[in-house]
Amino acid sequence: MKRIGVFVCHCGINIAETVDVKRVAEEVLKMPGVVYTQDYIYMCSDPGQALVRKKIKEEKLDAVIIAACSPNLHESTFRAAAEEAGLNPWQCEIANIREQCSWIHSNRKKATEKAIKIVGTIVEKSRLNESLEPIPVLIKKKALVIGGGIAGIQSALDIADSGYKVILVEKESSIGGHMAQLSETFPTLDCSQCILTPKMVAAGKHQNIELMTYSEIEEVSGYVGNFNVKIRRKAPFVDWDKCTGCGLCMEKCPAKVPSVFDRELTTHGAIYVPFPQAVPNKPVIDKDSCIYFKTGKCRLCEKVCEINAIDFEQEDRFVEEEIGAIIVATGYDTLPIVDLAEYGAGDIPDVIDGLAFERLLSASGPTVGEVKRPSDGMVPKEVVFVQCAGSRDPERYRPYCSKICCMYTTKHALLYKHRVHDGQPYIFYIDIRTGGKGYEEFYHNAEEEEGIIYLRGKVAKIFRDGDKTVVWGTDTLTGRNVEIEADLVVLATAVIPTDSTAELVKKLRIQTGPNGFLAEAHPKLRPVESINSGFFLAGAAQGPKDIPETVAQASAAACKVISLFSRDHLEQDPAIAWVDEDLCNGCQTCVPVCPYDAREYDEEKNIVIVNEALCEGCGSCVAACPSGATQMRNLSDSQIKSMITASLGGK
Amino acid sequence: MSENMGLAPPRNPPIKLTRKKVRAGFKKRVIELSGQPVDACYQCGNCSSGCPLAQEMSILPNRIIRLVQLGQKDDIIHNDTIWICASCFQCTVRCPKGIDIQAVMDTLRQIALEEGVDHFGPDQIDPEHAAEVPQPGLVGVYRKLST
Amino acid sequence: MAKVAYYPGCALKERSSHLDRSARDATVKLGFELDELDTWTCCGAVPPVSKERIMNLIAPSRILKNVRDSGSDVLITICDFCYNTLKRTNYSIRTDEIIRKRINTFLADDTPEREYLEKDNSQWVDYKGEVKVIHLMEYLRDELGYKQITENLKRSLKGLKLAPYYGCVMLRPQNEIQLDDPENPSIIEDFISALDAQPVKYPYRTECCGSYLSISSPDASTRLCYRILNSAINKGADAIVVSCPLCFYNLDSRQKAIAEAYQDFKPIPIFYFTQLLSVALGVEYGRQGFEKHYVDVTPILDKIGTSSGKGDEE
Repeated sequence: MKRIGVFVCHCGINIAETVDVKRVAEEVLKMPGVVYTQDYIYMCSDPGQALVRKKIKEEKLDAVIIAACSPNLHESTFRAAAEEAGLNPWQCEIANIREQCSWIHSNRKKATEKAIKIVGTIVEKSRLNESLEPIPVLIKKKALVIGGGIAGIQSALDIADSGYKVILVEKESSIGGHMAQLSETFPTLDCSQCILTPKMVAAGKHQNIELMTYSEIEEVSGYVGNFNVKIRRKAPFVDWDKCTGCGLCMEKCPAKVPSVFDRELTTHGAIYVPFPQAVPNKPVIDKDSCIYFKTGKCRLCEKVCEINAIDFEQEDRFVEEEIGAIIVATGYDTLPIVDLAEYGAGDIPDVIDGLAFERLLSASGPTVGEVKRPSDGMVPKEVVFVQCAGSRDPERYRPYCSKICCMYTTKHALLYKHRVHDGQPYIFYIDIRTGGKGYEEFYHNAEEEEGIIYLRGKVAKIFRDGDKTVVWGTDTLTGRNVEIEADLVVLATAVIPTDSTAELVKKLRIQTGPNGFLAEAHPKLRPVESINSGFFLAGAAQGPKDIPETVAQASAAACKVISLFSRDHLEQDPAIAWVDEDLCNGCQTCVPVCPYDAREYDEEKNIVIVNEALCEGCGSCVAACPSGATQMRNLSDSQIKSMITASLGGK
Repeated sequence: MSENMGLAPPRNPPIKLTRKKVRAGFKKRVIELSGQPVDACYQCGNCSSGCPLAQEMSILPNRIIRLVQLGQKDDIIHNDTIWICASCFQCTVRCPKGIDIQAVMDTLRQIALEEGVDHFGPDQIDPEHAAEVPQPGLVGVYRKLST
Repeated sequence: MAKVAYYPGCALKERSSHLDRSARDATVKLGFELDELDTWTCCGAVPPVSKERIMNLIAPSRILKNVRDSGSDVLITICDFCYNTLKRTNYSIRTDEIIRKRINTFLADDTPEREYLEKDNSQWVDYKGEVKVIHLMEYLRDELGYKQITENLKRSLKGLKLAPYYGCVMLRPQNEIQLDDPENPSIIEDFISALDAQPVKYPYRTECCGSYLSISSPDASTRLCYRILNSAINKGADAIVVSCPLCFYNLDSRQKAIAEAYQDFKPIPIFYFTQLLSVALGVEYGRQGFEKHYVDVTPILDKIGTSSGKGDEE
């Protein structure tokens, strides 16, 4: 029989206060197979681990059980310790007597009884545990970065700089994302273009980066280290290899299309580049707006293009790539003003959102940096900024804080004051949140030196009265309502996931959280990874984020990819499903129940095999298998049976 | 809208903010006279928390500063707070933004006195009391609270 | 005997004369004399409301300039109002050039100042804040040293539990006064220790007594004084030590109103620090002006030293 050692942790007072750990050690020692037990105040500490290693050798243990906290926390710690002492890591098990016992009970006697049963259950499992070896998986050392905003650019550059190939996919025709729209950036007021465009150019020229703009992810299959990705290269109707970017076609195009980049404050032709600093600087034809595509007549662009780069016959192409790791950096959108009925539902021309105001402030924007309101071009003298427009409103809009608005609104008001000296900015807010480095100082300076009036209260209603826009707000600090006849109103609309996020996550088979942003594996300890292996997260796609935080996360995600690629192969946990080929009759009941697409029908053998690289060991197929052919390693039916018996107090 | 002479004004009308109101006039004068950066106040409320006379006031000191920020002169000078402040400087030494709140209070008293709001005249003192209070008290009260 | 320039202020000449006399008696025992200025006026009690009111700075500036012209570089005051007003005026003159110029222009044009100039036949020299305004207790702590007091004790205050009361203007505003930490001062505690008595700490020692509100809103002041006194009593104090005439007045005479308003209230004697110093240094009983107190101090005097209550010096 196996010689099992059990180590009972006090976890300071976390366990010992509620559970009589000495008694647990005594009782467990009476169980068959258990030859040694010991309690200790902090098992995970260095001396605690040393104790485990020492006793494995001294007592010639074949298996150890650590009765302590959740295996999520320290299973890997103790398995490593066991391995160091010469034990197979899968002969080390955790009995969770903290989260599942001491933390949730108060009756010491009953909690102690329960702890003994929990350990007894694991003793049963341990007796039948097999020694396992990790499954090696090869890695394709090429990364895919989805999204060409600052997050994607930064991730791509970091990976490429370390020597690995990267494909950077962007759905628009140029990389740059929202950051390219911004005027100046808080808290240092660097010009956004000045710090972004060099990075765009670097990404465009990097020998390890393959830029695929105007492209979208069509299909993803495979698993960490071995993804197959199908990418749709949308037809720009311009031969980019020929096109020199002279711009003549764009000048001549008679169509008028509202510019998405300029938040519809300007128009461009149906053939356009989104902004002059675009990378690559090549135009595309918007098929929906093109007069030729709509009426069959025009082709003016074709006539003026001397090098015959216009190609109305072009079709979408598909490319397939083998990829080792994927970074999702698909960015954010903002809540459309149309959704905010009490703020005019988008019908008031002088009620705009923050990104539109960025364009008004930008030196490369529609007004060349002069603040003029959309309705009549007047320089506004009374400007009201409304924060939390759709954020922190669980009843009607979004429940979360959009995080960046406090800072960018302060920046807006400050830049506005710099441009319109006799103007007065007002900011309505619920709280001012300035947690970043240098942010509080930035805010204080704006409040003290720039004469910005902060009003603590949420704006209830905005309506048009003549050429004025009336704002009804309150100031809870005086307990008085406030009414302002504004020339311009800027709404800090909620940061929301992009429209395409929901569709993309389905293709990638990764998760989103309750608000539609990408879900991280652990909010504190694994913030840049998806729960699904091989997917990493960067930027506002994971949640509202400012530029410094986005860049930090992008570099962190890149680091994770580089760390993955630095290995020769991956090690997959072998405690997963396996198939007894003699029992399997190929019924395929298991295939649809597998959430990871790990069950594959082998026609030749008429059985359903387990793709070991994809299997996460969830056990769904084991439960579904009608013939008992599918089993979990180290969680066999017989193990589970004896564990249930033990947990019910039987022998 | 035409003025309705028959109706009393509402109890709590909204403050109608304009750039003139918040950048000129009363607020500007308070800043000039007191030399204090009242816009620096971020309404932490520390001045009120530790004010020994807060229990006697109908509007707390932090709200007085707030009303200055929004240029609401009438709300301040027709209120008892500025007259109850005993100039003990407790708020001044504790203000995290370095505003000498006592100086602002002094300034507000001065503006109120200029506007003819005479809070405490010599005729209001009990002669028996006047005969025994140490002189700094008498000088102080008249300097602070009357013209 | 060494002489130090001394500005008593109006209260000490009359209603708080016991503060003045006990200070003079005690300092003589310590080997120096408070040398009252030949001529002086009221300091104004409170500094001006705003920088615009330069007139309110003239009186204290003139006092300070006269001190400098008479050859002194230190001026002792005892009344906290005078101390605050003179010190802050001096601070304005030292740190604000415009105020300095305006004050000196005014002083130079001043009629009595002209007579003085003609008499003296000297050149006009701007007053630039050369005089150091110093509180008597500050002088005892920093210039003389509290050790000198301990070494000269004639009567023992051992066992007496004394609660210091700082009030407002002795400590604040801190950036201009710089006498002690405004949140956790120790100058009076250390003084009490130097007298061989036991200082009692209590949370209300720096809370305002109502100051001049005693006149305009007497009930507010009564409520504040009750909180202060009760806090000291609950911490076991036998008596309270102050240096300001207005604090003394409020804490002492308000006890009449307090006793009427709060049934459980037990009176507690209030002392000027100079009175206790005078007693401890052996000045004969009877010169401290205890008869001016509203609350009877006899129980405390009975505890002190030979406790005869009679002059026992030489």
